[in-house]
Amino acid sequence: MSTAEFDAQVRKLATRYPDSKTAILPALRLAQEQNDGWLDTESFERVGEALGLTPAYCKAVATFYDMFHLAPVGRHSIEVCTNLSCALSGAQQVVDAFESELGVEPGETTEDGEITLRTVECLGGCGYATVVSVDNRYRQFVKPEDVPAIVEDVRAG
Amino acid sequence: MPARSMLLAGADERDLTKLAEYQAIGGYAQASRARAMTSDDLIAELQGANLRGRGGAGFPMGRKASLVDRKSPKPKYLVVNADESEPGAFKDREVMARAPHRLIEGCLIAAHAIESQEVFIYIRGEYLTEYEILAKAVEQARKAEILGDVNVVVYRGAGAYICGEETALLESLEGKRGQPRPRPPFPPVQGLYMSPTEINNVCTIATLPAILELGPEGFTNIGTPGSPGTVIFSVSGNVEKPGNYELELGTSMRELLYTHAGGIAGGRQLKAVIPGGSSVPALTARQIDVPLDFDSIGAIGTFFGAASLIVVDDRCCMVQLALRSTKFYMHESCGRCTPCREGTRWVVQLLERIEAGDGTTADLELLRKVCDRIEGKSLCALGDFAVWPVQSYFDKWHDEWVAHVEQGGCPLGGESSIEGIFAPSDQHTHSPVATVPA
Amino acid sequence: MSSPELVTVTVDGREVQVPKGTGLVETALAAGIEIPVFCYEPRLGDPIGACRMCLVEVEGLPKLQAGCTMSATDGLKVRTAQTSAKAADGQSATLEFILVNHPLDCPVCDKGGECPLQDLTFRWGPGNTRMEFDKRTLEKPIPVSPTIALDRERCILCYRCTRFSEGVSEDGQLVAENRGASSVIATFDDRPYRAPFSGNVIELCPVGALTSTQYRFEGRPWEIQNVPTVCGLCPVGCNTAVTVREGKVKRVLSRNHPEVDEGWLCDKGRFGFSHLYAGDRIADPLRRVRQRGLEEVSWDDALDDAERLLRESEGRIVTALSGSETVEQAYALGRLLRSGLGAHTAVLPEETSPALDAFRLPLSAIRDAELVVVLGDEPVAERAPIVELWLKAARRNGAEVHHAGDALESCRRLSRAKDELGNRLRESDRAVLIWSSEEGAGGAHLAALARELGFPDRPGCGAFHLPRTANGRGVADAWAASDDGEGETPEKIGLLVVSGDEAAADPNVRVLAERAERVLVTSMFHGLAAGWADLVLPGTSYLERDGTYVNLEGRLQRLRRASIPPAPDELAWISRLAERFGVEVDPFPSAVFSELSAKIYDGLPFGEVGEHAPLRTRSEAPAPQLPEEPPAPKGEGLRLIRYKALFSGPAIERVPELQFQRPEPEVELSGKDAEARRIASGDTVQVSHNGHSIELRARVSRGLRPGVVRIASEHAGDLGGMVEVSA
Repeated sequence: MSTAEFDAQVRKLATRYPDSKTAILPALRLAQEQNDGWLDTESFERVGEALGLTPAYCKAVATFYDMFHLAPVGRHSIEVCTNLSCALSGAQQVVDAFESELGVEPGETTEDGEITLRTVECLGGCGYATVVSVDNRYRQFVKPEDVPAIVEDVRAG
Repeated sequence: MPARSMLLAGADERDLTKLAEYQAIGGYAQASRARAMTSDDLIAELQGANLRGRGGAGFPMGRKASLVDRKSPKPKYLVVNADESEPGAFKDREVMARAPHRLIEGCLIAAHAIESQEVFIYIRGEYLTEYEILAKAVEQARKAEILGDVNVVVYRGAGAYICGEETALLESLEGKRGQPRPRPPFPPVQGLYMSPTEINNVCTIATLPAILELGPEGFTNIGTPGSPGTVIFSVSGNVEKPGNYELELGTSMRELLYTHAGGIAGGRQLKAVIPGGSSVPALTARQIDVPLDFDSIGAIGTFFGAASLIVVDDRCCMVQLALRSTKFYMHESCGRCTPCREGTRWVVQLLERIEAGDGTTADLELLRKVCDRIEGKSLCALGDFAVWPVQSYFDKWHDEWVAHVEQGGCPLGGESSIEGIFAPSDQHTHSPVATVPA
Repeated sequence: MSSPELVTVTVDGREVQVPKGTGLVETALAAGIEIPVFCYEPRLGDPIGACRMCLVEVEGLPKLQAGCTMSATDGLKVRTAQTSAKAADGQSATLEFILVNHPLDCPVCDKGGECPLQDLTFRWGPGNTRMEFDKRTLEKPIPVSPTIALDRERCILCYRCTRFSEGVSEDGQLVAENRGASSVIATFDDRPYRAPFSGNVIELCPVGALTSTQYRFEGRPWEIQNVPTVCGLCPVGCNTAVTVREGKVKRVLSRNHPEVDEGWLCDKGRFGFSHLYAGDRIADPLRRVRQRGLEEVSWDDALDDAERLLRESEGRIVTALSGSETVEQAYALGRLLRSGLGAHTAVLPEETSPALDAFRLPLSAIRDAELVVVLGDEPVAERAPIVELWLKAARRNGAEVHHAGDALESCRRLSRAKDELGNRLRESDRAVLIWSSEEGAGGAHLAALARELGFPDRPGCGAFHLPRTANGRGVADAWAASDDGEGETPEKIGLLVVSGDEAAADPNVRVLAERAERVLVTSMFHGLAAGWADLVLPGTSYLERDGTYVNLEGRLQRLRRASIPPAPDELAWISRLAERFGVEVDPFPSAVFSELSAKIYDGLPFGEVGEHAPLRTRSEAPAPQLPEEPPAPKGEGLRLIRYKALFSGPAIERVPELQFQRPEPEVELSGKDAEARRIASGDTVQVSHNGHSIELRARVSRGLRPGVVRIASEHAGDLGGMVEVSA
């Protein structure tokens, strides 16, 4: 998306809110989508330009939240909840299974650049533990033996 | 008591994400009724119903609405807190996924009560599917001209537990870092964009259509006098049938855990119940014969909170649980106030040492003291939430802690159900800056 | 305005009565009790209750409350750490938590000895540490800019600096990144914090996290003296405290005059002092010797030369003043040249109309105004930086701030009967006009406008002309008062007396110098007058003078010598020269001032000018004299506004740390004009006029009106009038 298009889209969505600063979260999300899932220097400059904010401010806001990434990520994300309820239901074994299936540790991306594995805090599916968020869609009741199929599914696109 | 449906009523039989289906069971009729009332009368009705906030604090919703400065020349805002991030809670999600129109109808009622035409539903960023369902439902309602002159905006958060705190949510919604504000002033006077704001949890708002249908008397006949109505109890952890159970307030905890949730899974022993989401003091197995309502739970030294029960069986090491819990709060601390920001990190360091078997009796004393030093002094409740669990695990299962010191390690010897659980704060996400030495 | 309602508050058992709504910290202070704070700073906006240092016990509330977020209500009863063990424990807890990872840097930390963290720990904190783990470490120090260093380990995350950057200077460059215990203070991409007010964060920081690179390791608080004086680099005249160690100026701090600067300084005033020690500082008089350039001579010889130059010019003397002389210097020069030699002609870079005296207001009135109109296209921040801060404060306070470009045209428009904005100015009780432009006869047009709008009858309304010079008004009045005689401008200049570096660097003065037979210059630096002066006498800086200045408010303020100059003060040799011409001029500023004060300052004694000088109440003033204005440039293209950048001038050129703040070779355009020419920010463009063209970088500025472009004069070459800009 060209800068002009990005600008236009952000300004348009800013009209939904009484104050255009509120548009910063959706704008950052859009910039992240446009930049292969992460935010670099140019992303912050773009968002700042579109909303009349400094890039420093945009980055200060982005770094506060977990869903914005400041380093390159894989094309897909697999996030395993390891908070209390999922932990009590065997989340660590699920994490271990993903580690072994993907060959990476949490926080890392597979060598082919396809999948980033992360452990995350409570996703809001505690009664259906273990919850795994694949590209922001929840898989529930995940057991270690389900992992190979999930990974295959993700790789298939 | 049998299960009672107000929030999820009809959701099993029909697809209530569809406007027509919701209308078929009387949906939006209460909103029309409400709009025919004056805001004063409507608020009186809500106050009569004594609906206590379902987000965790239990503050009476009608009273909150009455405090909104309706005379102010500034626009009034209704903000729905759908940032459900409390570990153990997953009920708002179900309401939004399965009965979104009920939530929207509740918004219309509440908006009318405070003379607002702007509604923001702040939904946590991770709930992408629920966001789509809700946004679609809003659009359906808008097209069918049900919203009237009320504008409903569904706004996605971006991953921060602290944004579930009212004023932090408002800051986030204003496009800033989500850090809480000092209170007073409270949102009903100075809220979103410094304007009078009513801010409520999803379930609180979604209960409003039922209140209007039953009337204050009919509503207060359900549940207990101090805690009328029904609540969706989220049950998770080591039970046979974890899930959401909508029951009348006042149902006994034993009944919820054993009759509805099927008791402890795998035939194991109940060790602990954290009754209100992970942030509240835990109860022992001997404390579960208590009615589930705000006042009864408050009376036994913990909090009703978000009505989210995490059940722990005897395989779990309480020191490890404390460590995992505190790492969560350390990760989620917004960083504005000193005790929470610096204190939770110190508590984590002490817990790690104790769990590793390197702790001394002095460390145990120090840990308890540091928790006391954080308690009651932070800018918002997160500081308290971080230490209440630790204090309760420490006090009620003290033997385990002493055993860690005396045995130089975890007495469960690697067999704890959460052994090795890896917290996100252990991996570098986007803050590769500070190193916390062991 | 009705008097505020008083309420009774009890603090630690002491009753005190304060206006309702007074902050609790100030209320306690009124009762003689200190509530310790870190993050609380009223100038930064609403309190945020972050640090938890101010925890107090409030009767009726179970939990400790952050005192800084509370305000006085009737019957409020509060107990601080002094009488409440709970509050004392709370404050001790805060300090314990701050110190848990705070490095024990005191022996090498510049803040040591003047550090609130040290002081409060001593008073309220734990006696020793219970933290046995290794403290977390971070890379340090980090250069926030060439003038500011950041030590993240020391930072206690009180957020004062980020709140300043966002909410006072509104540059949004210093921010907090990450969350929780991983939070750090940062600039975007580690780029330098480049903004005119950045240095204020050094004073705001309550620990040694943000420190001045100039002051690094330069002194300890017990070895220094702080001299109370006033900055002389711009017409605002911010009150300063100059730190001196062993006779050398080491740093400049604010001395908070609530009406003038509110405790803020711009980076030029704060960091510019090192020009005193520039390598090319002139310490001895210099005489021109053919083929050998300038050679040093003794003062006796120099004075002889000067006498000779003055006599030989037979009264055909023109004096070029800088406008940065003290009032006393200008008066003394006037006595020497006018009374002693009949040389009445003086050239000032600009006039300052005395008609403005009828519209005097303190600068703080800008913040309290409801309607502000800025006339002119020159950026306020480049002319009088602190005024820009007052404007921002006004906006935050709810004032309406209008920018009316093309000062003279706007002036005409606003005085017309049917003009909407003009009418609102006529009706408002708190309206302020600000003139930020070269044109307008030194504020005469502004005064005429203010008069037309009825300001003299409304004490809450006022007008500020932003002059180019620091003491233009003071110098002009002092020169005028030095003698009653009159004279004509000589046709052929026998001797041009150039007083001060600003005059020496002025191209218009150079033109005069080329036409003069001889030139005598007072200058601080070699190189400014090298090629064209016959005699150069060493000059002094405002930091080295005792005397007075008159700022743009019309406020008379007292300068105090912070450092002894390498050569005698101007009054010393003016007095000796004057003797030779039969004029008595005292070498001491106090005496010179007395003589002058009797004539124009109602006999105010030198010693009573005041530490925080008051603004004399507005007086009846003469009607403004409106000279013919040259016609506005016309023609195709865009009107070029050349402006003197804040970070320019001989003093600033000699401060290495400030070079990064020098103006970029840029041309500022409005969005509309840029779009029409398909130019984006960052593009290289040609700016041309009459066949002459300069290459610059374009910058699109939302605040600029269409039809106008702005270039800092040092980058604008010979361009003027109407220009064309093309990619």
